[in-house]
Amino acid sequence: MNKITESAIVLVIVAAITLLGNWIGYGYTLVEALPGMAVLVSICILGVLANKFIYNLPTVLYVITFGMIITMPGVPGNALFAGWVSKVNFLALTTPILAYAGVGIGKDLPALKRTGWRIVVVSLFVMTGTYVASAAIAHVVLKMLGEI
Amino acid sequence: MLNAIKNVKVHLLVLALVAVSEAVGILKFSIGPGMLVLLPMLYAVMIGVFLGPKFLKIVSDKDMNHASALVSLTLMLLMARYGTLVGPKFFEILKAGPALILQEFGNIGTIFIGIPIAMFLGLKRESVGAAHSIAREPNVALIGDIYGLDSAEGRGVMGVYICGTVFGTIFFGLAASFLSILNWFHPYALAMASGVGSASMMTATVGSLSAIYPEMAEKIQAFGVASNTLSGLDGVYMSMLIALPMSNRLYSFLYRIKFGTTQEVLTNE
Repeated sequence: MNKITESAIVLVIVAAITLLGNWIGYGYTLVEALPGMAVLVSICILGVLANKFIYNLPTVLYVITFGMIITMPGVPGNALFAGWVSKVNFLALTTPILAYAGVGIGKDLPALKRTGWRIVVVSLFVMTGTYVASAAIAHVVLKMLGEI
Repeated sequence: MLNAIKNVKVHLLVLALVAVSEAVGILKFSIGPGMLVLLPMLYAVMIGVFLGPKFLKIVSDKDMNHASALVSLTLMLLMARYGTLVGPKFFEILKAGPALILQEFGNIGTIFIGIPIAMFLGLKRESVGAAHSIAREPNVALIGDIYGLDSAEGRGVMGVYICGTVFGTIFFGLAASFLSILNWFHPYALAMASGVGSASMMTATVGSLSAIYPEMAEKIQAFGVASNTLSGLDGVYMSMLIALPMSNRLYSFLYRIKFGTTQEVLTNE
């Protein structure tokens, strides 16, 4: 089985799981959310194809760009596509990913133990440092631009 | 990959995790002027960890490897959705462009906090690897390229990388909540800062913020995604040209203060 078929199968499985979560958590019925999910799956498959046949750029880049183009103001059909995908709550898409990651994390725990507690402390400060400094700069610049 | 796809047990476990997590739903706790938010994705990851061999022993090593192998593909659907978040707000994002670009320099903030802390805790050259950046994939690749991943710097960057993978989502989801409680920064600034080069950290941040400020949710999501995409594009250059040289300078400077001598030859381990 080639890479494209494999990707398509995984995408459909995850799409199905997401549709269920989207229904339980955010109240969009399967029928309501199906067109939007179909659009998202198609974009992903187009991204995988573009990576293989057009130019070897990261698939993620293609996928984000395609999603952006079809919903951009001025592009034909943009409102229709945006309306469909809005029925797929973006948080509903994150839960399956973190579920797969969570099931897989156990494999990283021994490595974490080896690196020791000092690195854990440092990494908490590293994450805080990046986040707070970026937020401060963004806040100041947005104020200067008059956006907030 | 094929074996991972055929592992029905993993898919069924994920289905169960998603159903349970979404059934619990978003939990919000008001604290002072702000709100602490817990998202279903946090429950999914935490319950997932407890299924592992360390605790409930429901999943085997094989299942864990299969689940990890699938993560990058499952991310694609979210990325497609991200594109559709940016699209409708494209021209508004352009207007905020300078803020988006300049906040990238905030990533240097990690150096001035991280390196002194790391050295205070007794780490040596590990500090430079650990604290020159937030240590996502491109930074790991860069350090691997320059020092090798089995060097002290390599151990540092790998340590922070692993911690980020294990705690990052939980940390960022909660950090966004806590910062909103303090009310120091505008939600748009908090959204822009979430783009650190990791889709899951950004998502956790943006998810918490949009639950706290539903009326600003669309712009918050668009800013987060735009910022994260930008970090993906410029992150390596930022690390290589600015952050890493600065980390090395700060390290030598602090080394002189702490030990009263110039840094020994780097090979001295």
